[in-house]
Amino acid sequence: MTDPDPTDADRHPTLSEAGQRMLDYLAQHRHAPVFRNKSGSRLTAHDLARLRVFEAGVAEAGCVGQRGGEPPWLADFVARCYADVPHYRARGVAPSGFEAIPTTRRADLAHDITAFVPDSVALDRLINFRTSGVTGHPLLIPSHPLVAASYLAFHRLALRRYGIELTAGRNDVGVVLLGYQRQCFTYVSVIPAMDEAGYVKLNLHPDDWRSPEDRAQYLDALRPEILSGDPISFSALLALSMTWKPRALVSTSMTLLPALRNELETRFSCPVLDVYSMTEAGPIGVYDACAGGHVLLQQQLLVEILDPAGKRVRLGERGEITLTGGFNFCLPLLRYRTGDYASLQTRSNETVLCGLSGRAPVRFRTTDGAWINNNDVTHALRALPLWQYRLHQHADGQLQFEYAVDRNMDIEVTRILHGIFGADRMLDVRQTNFGNIKVVPYTSDAVSNNGI
Amino acid sequence: MQHAGPPLESLTRRLLDTPPEFLAEPKIGSRGVVHVDALLGDVTTMLGERAPAGELRRFADPDGGARNRLALAQLAAWVCADAWFRGAGIAPVRLIRAIDAAATALSSHAPAASFLADGDRREELVRTLLAALDHRPADESIEQAQDRLANVSSSQRQIAVSAARGMAERARKIREALARKAAEESADKMWRE
Repeated sequence: MTDPDPTDADRHPTLSEAGQRMLDYLAQHRHAPVFRNKSGSRLTAHDLARLRVFEAGVAEAGCVGQRGGEPPWLADFVARCYADVPHYRARGVAPSGFEAIPTTRRADLAHDITAFVPDSVALDRLINFRTSGVTGHPLLIPSHPLVAASYLAFHRLALRRYGIELTAGRNDVGVVLLGYQRQCFTYVSVIPAMDEAGYVKLNLHPDDWRSPEDRAQYLDALRPEILSGDPISFSALLALSMTWKPRALVSTSMTLLPALRNELETRFSCPVLDVYSMTEAGPIGVYDACAGGHVLLQQQLLVEILDPAGKRVRLGERGEITLTGGFNFCLPLLRYRTGDYASLQTRSNETVLCGLSGRAPVRFRTTDGAWINNNDVTHALRALPLWQYRLHQHADGQLQFEYAVDRNMDIEVTRILHGIFGADRMLDVRQTNFGNIKVVPYTSDAVSNNGI
Repeated sequence: MQHAGPPLESLTRRLLDTPPEFLAEPKIGSRGVVHVDALLGDVTTMLGERAPAGELRRFADPDGGARNRLALAQLAAWVCADAWFRGAGIAPVRLIRAIDAAATALSSHAPAASFLADGDRREELVRTLLAALDHRPADESIEQAQDRLANVSSSQRQIAVSAARGMAERARKIREALARKAAEESADKMWRE
């Protein structure tokens, strides 16, 4: 099969001269980092028209109140899943009651993701996103440029809750997405739905920059309206001398602890949004202290809270967050158990996830005393077909790694972990069967020096 | 299949006797004559309570690709008009969803007419419909009903083999599409997850 390299025309089908100038400015700035990759919106003019309709619908619907009972779109969605999606169709006839439908799990997606792509989805524009692996081995999630671009609608909705309307447009930089990893997918792009405002995905790790001081100077020069990232990259941002004040910080991917949020808000004098989001479903809720939790963002995403037996708990009781619906038409979710836990409350006609717990950033100490984060471990292990794994570092630095897969991979795992932690690090690797339990993949008793 | 239903033979016999008005072409655009949403509404009314309009919407103004599903829904509606269902206490919403689920599941297997002409397929339609209603034929245990539904479905082995081949080919194409350089480059999302 021939697999040609994508061209800039593939990445930016509607790019104007102004958009090209923005790309050049972002990539060729004298303080710019090394950009290791290329990407783009891939949106056609037809996509943009559809996107405008979608965004208007999301804005009109506002944040979501699940009013009990089944939403009007649900029956049709279930019927389509059972008719059009091989995994669900293989179950036979859909039960007549929604709560009798079996749940699905991450392990189901890991086993064969192709069975979750509807037959009706054309494959010529399929793209993939890899999950971070914070809650297990990375998954390859099928998606589409239109789905990726649809995130912006929920981005706007979440910001509007904090009184912020995005105003960046032509010749501005709209969003800079910050990472802090040894290896990171980085590139420059423009946002067609914001009149080709600039967008940069960069890595704050010093290895990606000619000089560590360039990081603050580049961000100050770009003056991005929004900075997005995760608690690890925002911690790294705090250590920089950046003087620019963005209008908001958007934190996703991991638990944002209150102390870090306060520090960020004080330092940058802007709201810090904590968005509960996952690659499988996109943005699910935005934290609002007044509402007491994460307010749901997607109108066509049913959120249930289930007990370990798969039964719905009563309103206000804690259980596993379970999702049905969503806007990724390449991966319709039907009672998908996320592995995250919360209770569901109704506050002022909105539905709120309270006490959300799932993912917390974890750092590990290498033999030379450096600290790396769980994303670096995930990245290093991505080539191995592990179903689930668990890495624990003891207080004395020793590592214990357990993994589940259908063959022994002790040698490969040991080689990779020694590569990132150092060859003389004590390491206990064993193959195991986790059964049907939720695995917390990264834990550590080592005390972090927060040295980023 | 938690609940005991009517005898299997009474429903397969009834299916064989489907009257012409339930066999006429479903109305799609300017073609066909049977308004399937109205037909299903009438059946639920006859059983005691009309199904809400919202539940019937999936059978109104469909696109051309829905023809086989609608034709199967007509057959299932005739089965459900049996006297046994009048006293069964099945809510109209549940009945409509079961008809929809059965018709949708079977529509990708074979033309609706074959579920009338072929004895195995008549049984398959009736068993599938009862299963969607969480019922089983009278005088059968849950295990027997599950086994027999599986068996009658496996009588379509050739279809299944063919479908499996198609699914394997589709899965291969999806894996290839996801592995393309363009797919790996992905597209702007602006949030980490």
